[in-house]
Amino acid sequence: MSFKSTLATFAGKSSYWILHNIFHRGSSLPGKIALKIDPEILKEIGKNYDVIVITGTNGKTLTTALTVRLLKNKYPELITNPSGSNMEQGIVGTFLKASKKKQKNLAILEIDEANVIKITRYIKPILFVFTNIFRDQLDRYGEIYTTYKKIIDGVKLAPNATIIANGDEPIFNSVNLPNKIIYYGFHLHPEDDNKDLKAPINTDGILCPKCQHIIHYHEIIYANLGNYFCPNCDFKRPKLNHFVNKLIQLTPKQSIFQIDNTDFTFNTGGLYNIYNVLAAYTVAKFFNIKDEIIKNILLDDKKVFGRQEVINIEDKKVTMMLIKNPVGFNQVVNTALSDSKPFTLVTLLNANYADGIDTSWIWDGNFEMLVNAKLSNGQKQIKQTILGGERYKDIVFRFKVAGQKEIIEEPKLDKIIDLIKQAPTKNIYVFATYTATLQFRNILSKYNYITEGIE
Amino acid sequence: MKYSLKIAHLYGDLMNTYGDIGNIYALQYYGKFMDTEIIPQLISLNDTFNADDFDLVLFGGGQDFEQKVVSKDLLKKSSQITKFIENNGVFLGVCGGFQLIGKYYVTAEGEKVMGSGSLDHYTLNQNENRFIGNTIIEDPITHNKYHGFENHQGMTFLGKKGTSLGKVLEGYGNNGKDKTEGVHYKNTYGTYFHGPILTRNPKLAQELLIQALKNHYPNIDFNNFEKLSFPPTF
Repeated sequence: MSFKSTLATFAGKSSYWILHNIFHRGSSLPGKIALKIDPEILKEIGKNYDVIVITGTNGKTLTTALTVRLLKNKYPELITNPSGSNMEQGIVGTFLKASKKKQKNLAILEIDEANVIKITRYIKPILFVFTNIFRDQLDRYGEIYTTYKKIIDGVKLAPNATIIANGDEPIFNSVNLPNKIIYYGFHLHPEDDNKDLKAPINTDGILCPKCQHIIHYHEIIYANLGNYFCPNCDFKRPKLNHFVNKLIQLTPKQSIFQIDNTDFTFNTGGLYNIYNVLAAYTVAKFFNIKDEIIKNILLDDKKVFGRQEVINIEDKKVTMMLIKNPVGFNQVVNTALSDSKPFTLVTLLNANYADGIDTSWIWDGNFEMLVNAKLSNGQKQIKQTILGGERYKDIVFRFKVAGQKEIIEEPKLDKIIDLIKQAPTKNIYVFATYTATLQFRNILSKYNYITEGIE
Repeated sequence: MKYSLKIAHLYGDLMNTYGDIGNIYALQYYGKFMDTEIIPQLISLNDTFNADDFDLVLFGGGQDFEQKVVSKDLLKKSSQITKFIENNGVFLGVCGGFQLIGKYYVTAEGEKVMGSGSLDHYTLNQNENRFIGNTIIEDPITHNKYHGFENHQGMTFLGKKGTSLGKVLEGYGNNGKDKTEGVHYKNTYGTYFHGPILTRNPKLAQELLIQALKNHYPNIDFNNFEKLSFPPTF
């Protein structure tokens, strides 16, 4: 260990100790300090780890949390980074915090797309996991192709790592890499393999990367994910190594499905979350974890921050759902609409940095489907619509244009709690952007509706 | 509804980033107050665009990869696009759709991509920088203010055809230098505004609809619709 990295490690570790034990808070400061002293600190503090990097637009946090749970039995000492600390400083902080082990340990890290290269410059991961690349807060990175290029630039420094990638995502098949690639995806209807479908008009990323024709599908799961093929050249979905072959039952709180012909129950709703389960499952298979162990861990219903927590406000059951981009929003809508009862909908829109400062994404979300959804008895599924957040005017107009006539407009979060208590239904869904979720949680804890911390 | 207008959604399946489709929803929404139905039709790669078939055109923004592919196909449509614009058709080009009705634009990688040449502005790239943020402009004649969100790498310089859509009060505008934003020529509007522009600026949506109605129904007086006033949405 060089003098510089020893000093950096010492400074980082002691600032962590002070912040944690004296101020009782976590922070990106220790990582910042250590990096300042030794920009190459990762080389030293990461060298005793086999690293798994999980990246992509949607699903990083849940995939990371699930992967950690699936591998924890086999690797009880493994380390991971808390959600939100997925940039270089946060990663350095995660390593600094870990106590030193004699044997090689495992690190499962959620990494922001543009920060992959900042890690691979110093550490050569054994595994990369790619979830998907959707349009998200482009005010930060530009375009889906730019985002993918940033990831690939990082991966190029680790040609010996295996990649576990979403095979249903065309962009993950657009660049030839020397790495070994394991693909996962959905193959629900082999009988549809001759079908020829096109994605809906407002779908991103549907140009063939080889010949630039519009790609078609045999089966579309959602957005541009599915069993794609180019009608003009030989570009098509690669062979899947692991796949969801059957959806048995989807409700807002639970999904039952088969992967590789084995039944699994996951106690969190949402088709998009099944992709995250599938990604984590594929990692588990890479480490030879048995189906029985995976099954039991998936049944555990600990929730991950912001993703579908159910909170009781008096007699109301409030389900919190994080919204941040059109594809994620549409998935959240589908999940809420899988409720068999009418519900009250609260939507909170903010546009701070962590939310994405551009609200125009709401126009790409399918609010029309949400507003017009009907139950099997013909009744409207949404009984009452309550809209708020710092950008409530934007969201109110979006609902109006989608055809929603009665809207309760309430910019004050305190008052939204009262409205929830008086709501005409037992089930309430709260769709909120990242900072709106934090603010809403603060109000909930102020009134003691939540006490426990978040994972 | 009493009136009906057709809108061509030019490359709507490829040029659709940043909620630009919201412009069509806004036209449909405000159209209802004018007893006017708006019928969108996708015109994409290899489709024929006939200027005479449409009252309005929306040409949205896309990513460099898509825009390069669109540029090649655009060659086949450029004479009809120019005809549509010269015949006073109502045309809204946003971001990439604004750049591509001009002479050319240069991608982030430095590659020159040809536009339809219907107007004579051109767009250069900036290195490792984008103009991002909320923006406000003012029409120098009507003094209408428009709100939007810009997010572009290109720097556009206007030519002799048309004037800017407005003077930049807040934000960067076409190029961050000359305080111009967008272009206005006959009934053609080019802009960097997302948001989308027509959902945030009801007055502009109204203007576009009335122009298209007047073109399509030259013998009808739409004075009543001009008197309509819509509340701000932002």
